[in-house]
Amino acid sequence: MTDETRAEPRAFRFRGTWQDYAPIAFTNLLLTIVTLGIYSFWGRARTRRYLWSRTIFIDDRLEWTGTGLELFVGYILAFLFFVLPFGIINLVLQGVLMRGHQGAAALLVGVLYLIALFLIGVARFRALRYRLSRTLWHGIRGGSDRQGVAYGWSWFWRSLVATLTAYLMMPWSMARLWNERWNTMSFGSLHFRSDARWQPVFGRFMLFYLAPVVLFFAILAMIAIGIGAGMMAGIKPGAPPPAGAIVTFALLGIAFYLVFFGVLGVIAAAFFSAFFREAVGATSLGDLEFGFEARTMDWVKLFVGNYALVIFTFGVGYIFVPYRNWAFFIRHLAAYGSVAIDTLTQSQTRAPGQGEGLLDAFDVGAF
Amino acid sequence: MSAPSEGGAATGAAPDDGATVWHYDGVSALRRRARLLVEGDALVLVEDGVAGARVPIADLVPGHADAGAASFGLKGRPGWRIDFAGPVPPALRARLPGAVRYGGWVDRLGLWRAATAFAAVAAVVVVIVLRTPAMVARLVPASVERQLGETMVGDFGRRGCTDAAGRAALATLAHRIDPDAPRLEVDVVKLPMVNAVTLPGGRIVVFDGLIQAARSPDEVAGVVAHEIGHVRHRDVMEGLLRQFGLSVLLGGMEGHVGGYTNTILATAYSHDAEAKADGYAIQLLRDAKVSPLPTATFFDRLGRGGPGKAERMLAYLATHPVSADRARRFRQSALAGGYAPALAPAQWQALRGICRGDTDRIDWRF
Ligand SMILES: [Zn+2]
Repeated sequence: MTDETRAEPRAFRFRGTWQDYAPIAFTNLLLTIVTLGIYSFWGRARTRRYLWSRTIFIDDRLEWTGTGLELFVGYILAFLFFVLPFGIINLVLQGVLMRGHQGAAALLVGVLYLIALFLIGVARFRALRYRLSRTLWHGIRGGSDRQGVAYGWSWFWRSLVATLTAYLMMPWSMARLWNERWNTMSFGSLHFRSDARWQPVFGRFMLFYLAPVVLFFAILAMIAIGIGAGMMAGIKPGAPPPAGAIVTFALLGIAFYLVFFGVLGVIAAAFFSAFFREAVGATSLGDLEFGFEARTMDWVKLFVGNYALVIFTFGVGYIFVPYRNWAFFIRHLAAYGSVAIDTLTQSQTRAPGQGEGLLDAFDVGAF
Repeated sequence: MSAPSEGGAATGAAPDDGATVWHYDGVSALRRRARLLVEGDALVLVEDGVAGARVPIADLVPGHADAGAASFGLKGRPGWRIDFAGPVPPALRARLPGAVRYGGWVDRLGLWRAATAFAAVAAVVVVIVLRTPAMVARLVPASVERQLGETMVGDFGRRGCTDAAGRAALATLAHRIDPDAPRLEVDVVKLPMVNAVTLPGGRIVVFDGLIQAARSPDEVAGVVAHEIGHVRHRDVMEGLLRQFGLSVLLGGMEGHVGGYTNTILATAYSHDAEAKADGYAIQLLRDAKVSPLPTATFFDRLGRGGPGKAERMLAYLATHPVSADRARRFRQSALAGGYAPALAPAQWQALRGICRGDTDRIDWRF
């Protein structure tokens, strides 16, 4: 590994290999299939146990202490209290629509959207709290004294502000929410501190924001040129065009599509890499400063690699995506400063009882 | 630092009845190097020649086999750990609890036996979930199903086409096919799709596109008879129950895996429902002395796809998979003769004009 050859050893190191992880991934897949999906919670716990145990921080590995049962119970609770009611409301909504009360239906959808927005905020907070509380290093775990309700409201109104300003205040919302989330988290007796700013990433965001418009007009111009060329080649409107022209146009369409989303994807990666560098770089724990060193191209390589892995294996490669994401995260995560081991004592926060159920229900990531 | 125990006698032990471990007490982050010794049914950790408290072996919680190194926690002491730096001495390993790998049941049975057992249980569960809706659907009172239908689709279809002569012809057709069903509700809605559906609550809705695509009243009769089959067999209620059961059952599977499986199982079963509805329709047509041959021809035409109307034709194919087998079944049920048209020519013309005065009554605004 390249880590070892550096003069200064990195604080975070990842020692896993995909060959090592493969038996875990494949047995998880097998057991998930034969249990109609129920094992997937235990499988996920097993994957994390492997990934955490191969992650070294300074002088010792991390340990994941979460269990499949916790994740399963979390999912069941989320299902009973959120998925089921939402499903029933959806059924009623269908009836309301069929009766022609579009106004009532729109109102119902609007209210549902707002409730879901709040719940997603709570879910993100609780997922991070759960993960910290199940992460052990030197026998010490993390956690938070908060339940996430305040964060849910904050997420709710900041997201609304971002939406109402045509997403122009998105970087502001993201940076402030990051700070709010991490400032209530702790590890052992140490508190996380974060003061990420939105100003440094706003330029990249504007690039992302304006790129679709620029691309759209560029493609429009290309189409106009293409049609002009087609006219010159003697295609009369109304008459069926020759097969060659249709194939050419289809290929051009696919090319435009790939360019559009390819360029947009790279610009999105540019924004996210800048945001993560800013956000993680502004986060500290005691005397420990964090940093995240992934550049735009690292993110692009991660995503292209993940897509290729899934597509060329007809979906089976999906089981390696969590491994790749974690390895990427740890290999680019840096820490500077020191940990005062003798003053770091056990977390006094209440450990949450169940896993990330609500987050599973809404299918969003934790970090 | 942990307090030294009172009765610490374990010094100078022979090197082969212990091992060197890393120890965390779960209170502070200090990493301690200790010598682990076995004393009866307990462990003693010796640090710098000072023995700590006795730890009952029965209270040790084994770490996970995937973790790469042997590690033990202690019941009731979160964060308390002993980590073996190297391999565990065999004599000691025999005394300590074995590592967990997959989780309780799988570890006890072994991977392959557990997988086989799970697969067998899963197969039984899937069969139960697929079969029970048929039984449960028949137990659901008709009034409850009607109520559910009202909730889900409101009066969709009930505000169907209103041409008086057309409605009379439709009623005649329905009565002709199924004279014993006074409560049968059949409506035509002005939508261009070639389709007919049975709604929850047992209401049949025929789309005007199908009536325009039909070449004779017998073709419409065959389609309506098929839908009556769905009503009699409670297929819609059954389908709703099955969808619900499958989505609960497969909800735990990661997103798309569950979705695919659900669709495959649901459609695989609806072929069965289609075949039964066809059987019912064939019987109705025979009793009503309406020829099944036009219906067979209609299915043939749908299978080939109408000229230039492919996407409208596809509506029927999507909800009622048309195969050559279905057409053949209707054709083979034909008797030598004795058939009369389902409607007189004048009535057929009236039925074709049932939506004459109507504009699109259903606003698909969202
Ligand atoms: Zn059918």
